[in-house]
Amino acid sequence: MDIYISSPLTGTAIGLAEVPDPVFAGSMVGPGAAVDPERAPQVAVAPIAGRLIKLKPHAFVVQSEDGRGVLVHLGIDTVNLEGRGFELIAAEGDVLRAGQPIVTWNPAEVEAGGLSPVCPVIALDAESAAIDAIVNGAVTAGDELFHWR
Amino acid sequence: MPQRTVTVASKVGLHARPAAVFVKKAGEQPVPVTLAKDGGKPVNAKSMLAVMSLDVRGGERVTLAAADGEGAAAAVDELADLLETDLDG
Repeated sequence: MDIYISSPLTGTAIGLAEVPDPVFAGSMVGPGAAVDPERAPQVAVAPIAGRLIKLKPHAFVVQSEDGRGVLVHLGIDTVNLEGRGFELIAAEGDVLRAGQPIVTWNPAEVEAGGLSPVCPVIALDAESAAIDAIVNGAVTAGDELFHWR
Repeated sequence: MPQRTVTVASKVGLHARPAAVFVKKAGEQPVPVTLAKDGGKPVNAKSMLAVMSLDVRGGERVTLAAADGEGAAAAVDELADLLETDLDG
């Protein structure tokens, strides 16, 4: 069953290889895409429908009904912010529809603090060949970002 | 079934980057390997989804276990040594 992964943010969709972190860029966390977010306060939304199985202020994982997990990581190395600047809207365990708000944050603030606000969106444990139709260019939160066969 | 319990050295635990390094190494092992938090249910160490959901924090004790088979003890040792290194360093 195919699923479409939506962009969790508004900004510019870029290839994973352009993420300024070798582990994400090298698809070590998994295949997918990334979004260079608009530098303004933003709400990160669910990339797929499913259960919010893990929610940290700077990253979350939504698991679809068929068991697939999508990781959204808000910025690079933002685990070090220990939640500062991130406001949770949803709670871990919530069942969400695609596009449902999860966290509010400000990419401009993250960038001003010296960290990259680029957000990898990863199909966890997927084969690279299972991911296609990866969008490049302007996206609005909720727009299709890539396809997971 | 070989197993070892170690303290996770990475200061911020198994977040995305160290989890990816760990799962990649686990994937290279010849036998199934599991990871469990103290007293918790073991999860598949070769799955990013499983390992990230476990949400292992720095300083936590975790148990690595491998199914019996050739290379099982070495697999546990290699992964245990990896966790005892600061993967963010």
